[in-house]
Amino acid sequence: MSTLKPVLSRTFQLMLVLWAVVTILFLMFRLMPGNPLAAYIDPTFTLEQQEQLIRQFGLDKPLLQQYFTYIGNLLQGELGYSFRYRTPVADRIWLLLPNTLILTFSSLIIAYFFGILAGAWLAWHRGSRAEAVALPVVLATRAMPEFWLGMVLLAVFSFSLGIFPAGGTRSPGTEYDSLWALYTSADFLSHLALPMLTLAIYSQGLPLLLMRSNMLDVMKEDFVTMAKVKGLSPYTIVIRHGARNALLPVMTSFAISVGYQLQGNVVVESVFSWPGLGRELVSAVSASDYPLAQGAFLMIAVVVILMNLIADLLYTFLDPRISHA
Amino acid sequence: MPKTLPDRPAPDCTELERDHAVIRHSHLCILRLTWPQQADDNRRDIVNTLFKLASTSLMSVALFAGPTWAQDQIRTIHLLSRPQAAQPAEFQAVQLIAQEWRKLGLDVEVDVMPWEQLSSEVWYNREDWDVTAWQMTGRPERSDPDEIIYNLFHSSTAESGYNFIGYSNPEYDAVVEKQRVTIDPDKRQELVWKAQEILAKDQPNMMLVHPQQAFAFDKNIWDAASVVNQSGIGIRNTWTWLSLTPKTDQKDIIVNSADNVISVKPLYFSGVTDSWITELIYDRLFRVGPDGLPTLWAAESFEWRDDTTIAVTLRDGMKWHDGAPVTVEDVKFSYETTVGGEAPMYSPFGEGISNIAIEGDNVIVFTLENPSASFVTSSLAKINLIPKHIWEPILADLATKEENAESYQEEMPIGSGPYKFERWITNEEIVLSANEGHFNAPKAERWILRLVPNAEAALGMLRSGEVNFLTDFSGDPQVLIDAAAADGDIEVVSTVDIGFRYVAFNNRRAPFNDPAFRSALSSAVDRRLIVNAAFKGFAVASNSVVSPALEFWHDKSVVDNFKAGTDVAKSILEEAGYTMNGDRLAYPDGVKETLGD
Repeated sequence: MSTLKPVLSRTFQLMLVLWAVVTILFLMFRLMPGNPLAAYIDPTFTLEQQEQLIRQFGLDKPLLQQYFTYIGNLLQGELGYSFRYRTPVADRIWLLLPNTLILTFSSLIIAYFFGILAGAWLAWHRGSRAEAVALPVVLATRAMPEFWLGMVLLAVFSFSLGIFPAGGTRSPGTEYDSLWALYTSADFLSHLALPMLTLAIYSQGLPLLLMRSNMLDVMKEDFVTMAKVKGLSPYTIVIRHGARNALLPVMTSFAISVGYQLQGNVVVESVFSWPGLGRELVSAVSASDYPLAQGAFLMIAVVVILMNLIADLLYTFLDPRISHA
Repeated sequence: MPKTLPDRPAPDCTELERDHAVIRHSHLCILRLTWPQQADDNRRDIVNTLFKLASTSLMSVALFAGPTWAQDQIRTIHLLSRPQAAQPAEFQAVQLIAQEWRKLGLDVEVDVMPWEQLSSEVWYNREDWDVTAWQMTGRPERSDPDEIIYNLFHSSTAESGYNFIGYSNPEYDAVVEKQRVTIDPDKRQELVWKAQEILAKDQPNMMLVHPQQAFAFDKNIWDAASVVNQSGIGIRNTWTWLSLTPKTDQKDIIVNSADNVISVKPLYFSGVTDSWITELIYDRLFRVGPDGLPTLWAAESFEWRDDTTIAVTLRDGMKWHDGAPVTVEDVKFSYETTVGGEAPMYSPFGEGISNIAIEGDNVIVFTLENPSASFVTSSLAKINLIPKHIWEPILADLATKEENAESYQEEMPIGSGPYKFERWITNEEIVLSANEGHFNAPKAERWILRLVPNAEAALGMLRSGEVNFLTDFSGDPQVLIDAAAADGDIEVVSTVDIGFRYVAFNNRRAPFNDPAFRSALSSAVDRRLIVNAAFKGFAVASNSVVSPALEFWHDKSVVDNFKAGTDVAKSILEEAGYTMNGDRLAYPDGVKETLGD
């Protein structure tokens, strides 16, 4: 009971947040300037044809009724039909989501792996020359816009050195039997390299700085002094004693980073022609394709909210001092 | 009561209140109603009225000062444009135009809005805007001038069609109606030229430029001699995809587009990029040839039996991609489907066909309601041939639903064209393979379209070989030319487009309802300025909707005779009775501003 209750109350909160997100999304797109029909209805259409399309899109109904229809459909897992593609929004999202998730998680794992090790190392070498160089560099990578970083990596590693391809997930015209065959191919990994690297460089700063400052706090604790007095090797002190304790907040920040990362995807996917949800979102918004944009936003919101929930719950299990009671 | 009030009776105030645009006159009407009746018993009203009088615009004051000052200043003109980020050349051109117009004493405000908003404003609120930047894109079927000169300016399309500017000229209507039914090319040419001359005189639009499109390819991979430059379309065209000959083992044509592929449907036009694909998968009876004129394709021969009857003989031995033979039944079915209610977007192209009959094994006879000069280009070279055995059941099913054939996406589109559909990977690529059994089989093995939203990346891909034929480059053409020079393997070809950029005047609204005013505004801007500053030299100045790329139809004299400059504009205005009122341009005598700020 005691472990179930926080899960339930968290889940309830999650539903509330989702409802708010859905409502804001619905209103946001309808308050945008411009008539969505102008983008889809060919000027040569007769008035009857235009009206038929308006009916098909459900735009002839009052706003409130559109809203309830939308919520009702959502509860049944229906995201509606894209104005532009005339196909179910859910189908397109399921096609593109795996590409986005692979890019997001692979780059975050690299960023965190590197960030945690480098953060711990920098904390241990506090006040050294290495720190004087490394810290400004890390801060600079945090401040770089992703598209700029992406373009620089493209120019260097793709156009000048020719090591990596410049866009897409596969070489032109290559066929794979399954998604699994694609994702495990060398071809895919070489296409993944640059966008992944861009996002990894962009996001390693947070775990690195967080790890470093946590480590600095932990290193002042009595048990570390005790370990030093015992004459343990620096490796044992940093990794076994220090890092373990400093790691906790870093791990929870991972979940939050997923949200930031998805935001970064929007830009990076466009730079690297990556067929993901972020790029789809951009084109749907610029084409006033309400249902598709709402669907893509919603999916991103769900991932972010879920990761937050996982972070919250993980905290409870990892650190018994925290309780949700 | 002042004597200088307008001669005509003061308008009824309640009527005016409904029309908020006429604020200035409403002050006058308040004055007239309040002064004589309530002057004695309600002093506050008088004070109010005087205050209102004093605060009315300079224009109203001028009205009281005497007849020499009576001319109405022209209101602030709102010029619409898309944002710089989306349309840098258009935005730049609009800024330059506004600057030139201000020299004439006009107050010009540029309103920038995204395309969705701009098009909905211009298209659906036809009474409510002044001037807008606009464009028509080049498409093969626009190689016949009819679509542009008729649809854009005929008064019948003013209410809800392409004549959104509301141009109406009976003389012009008569000329373009006549060229439609004139089959003899030379006589028709005369009429098309006449139409261009009327437009040059009336200036319903301010024509700016025909842009030059630049495309590029890797000349180490493709034989440069096998690239076809289609008149007004450029080297990115179906003929190139058929004749492009590989020089190396790379036999895949890899092209790029920044726009997503929306659909691959024979009965629906969902975008320019999508049409590159459907043109390869589906055959048509005719195709618009490299010279811009229709040429036989799936038709082996044709014959006009009289002005309204055309008999077309279908080529022998054609096969659908699934192996079934292409028959005249299929052709008839394709046309009947297009004219029927399931494909609204294509149905205008089949308009005017009154009967379709089959004669023998391979002849199909179209009977038209009226003679139509552009029928071969706009219908026979436009409508895709679709297999009856596949589409008949689909259409039967759709007939019971609200959706029509435009919403139906085949899993595996089947046509009879020179390329077969292989696969479509969402937002990444489309792969077609050569149809070796086709009567005009491609020299390449595959045609692959890569979707690349980033223009710089697309250029880099051309250099690295990920793309070997650059079909979409939205960046600065000079960057492309410099990159090609640096690379050495890349050849850039730029061509004058059929499409054009222009500034549309709302002919319904004063002062744009006056041809002299439109003409002056158009003359105020030297097009060389637009070509060089906005289009960086990659455009040719225009004064005709018929592009110079369409050599036969383009009337060169209207471009040559066009004079521009602030002085030219000022003298046209002066002649038409426009004067300066203070530092602002004012209407001729007797014309009032009814849409004031």
